[in-house]
Amino acid sequence: MKRAFILLLLVVVGWVLADTFSQINFGESRMGDIKQQETVGAYYLNNTVEKLSVANVVTAIVVNYRGFDTLGEVTVLFLAASGLASILYRRKKRGEHDVMILKNSSQLLQTGAKLIFPAILVLGAYVFIHGHLTPGGGFQGGAIIASGFLLMFMAYKDYHVSHNVLTWVESIAGILFVSVGIWGLISGATFLENILGTGTLNDLVSGGIIPLIYIAVGFKVAAELTGVLETLLNFKTEK
Amino acid sequence: MIFNIIFFSLLAIIILAAAIYAVVQKDLLYAVIATGVISLVLSIYFFIMQAPDVALTEAAIGIALTTIIFVITIRNTSRREDEIPVNKEPDREEETK
Amino acid sequence: MEILKYIGSFFVLLGSVFLFLGALGIYRMPDVYNRLQAGTKSSTLGAMSMLLGIGFLQPDWMVKMIVIIIFIAVSNPLSSHALARGAYRAGLSLFQKEKIDAYEKDYKSMEDKEL
Repeated sequence: MKRAFILLLLVVVGWVLADTFSQINFGESRMGDIKQQETVGAYYLNNTVEKLSVANVVTAIVVNYRGFDTLGEVTVLFLAASGLASILYRRKKRGEHDVMILKNSSQLLQTGAKLIFPAILVLGAYVFIHGHLTPGGGFQGGAIIASGFLLMFMAYKDYHVSHNVLTWVESIAGILFVSVGIWGLISGATFLENILGTGTLNDLVSGGIIPLIYIAVGFKVAAELTGVLETLLNFKTEK
Repeated sequence: MIFNIIFFSLLAIIILAAAIYAVVQKDLLYAVIATGVISLVLSIYFFIMQAPDVALTEAAIGIALTTIIFVITIRNTSRREDEIPVNKEPDREEETK
Repeated sequence: MEILKYIGSFFVLLGSVFLFLGALGIYRMPDVYNRLQAGTKSSTLGAMSMLLGIGFLQPDWMVKMIVIIIFIAVSNPLSSHALARGAYRAGLSLFQKEKIDAYEKDYKSMEDKEL
């Protein structure tokens, strides 16, 4: 019975796959010519700059046309971070210090890290605020900010980021993302519809909801990755 | 043209060599550094192929964060592939058998 | 404008010469510490003068280039310092038999203080 069911399932899956692939000629370019008007890529390339006045087409696709996918990606990252924290995180008793970095780093590294750390934060913020104008965006900026925090974790033995602060930043950024989407529903359009005015090309405030969403994504990713690093560095196996 | 071909093949050979080294190497720390090298060369590739977004992501996440997370994990468990992890306590397992 | 072009090209050439010398030093030197010295010192100067040359070639980018130069001037010696310290802690030895290890006494006293 079980084997027959598995065989039936295999036959169904194989038939669907074969039916799909048989319609494609071997060696045919599936993306099509980029100058042809029918393809999706040509639509994006031709219409993004005029309709949304966003210079970076990749950002427009990721946040505007495929905004729901981005919400899913951020959720996946959130689930990974919270799963790791639920396995490894434990509340420390008062006065207990079991960080993994046992030795202080040198004076030179500490001073230099203090000097570079704000510059790294500003670079990350620049990357995700200018996501619709220059290459980069929320994920990249968040990762840059998290690597800045990593430098501080490496340089100072007792450097801690409070988990409460990280949780609040992460939650507020997520709520901002979803509420921008629901704002679209309220004003009569679809979820994550670009309802704001798009402004002029190459302005900082342009592109409608794209900068708002990317700022939210940047804060969210930075808080999650910093939380992952903090959890991992504070975990110590009993040897 | 010929310069392009030589350059791209050189990068591809570096990626392949680092990947094979990461699989074969028994010392996990070396393997993690080899994966970092793969990410570095991949981000150069992405940048040449006019995808600076992806290159930036690969540089920030692939080189810095993933490598560091793997190094921390190796420090908490064991460094060699064939070694028994610290937490496993082989004596108790034998008793239960 | 012609003179800016020549100055910029000169700085880019200088930077590439220094970067080449750094690569040669990494290939030629015998142990980790010498390689670090050859690599980071020459690459710091090479990258800085190359960025300065680009700033002269494209005068609009000069401010950004100066910011990047300051960042390299802070971060590059720092990373080489951290690498050398990590190599010393990992126990990599010098290449000579009769070695003069000036850092040893400092390192020992620091270890005693911490542990």
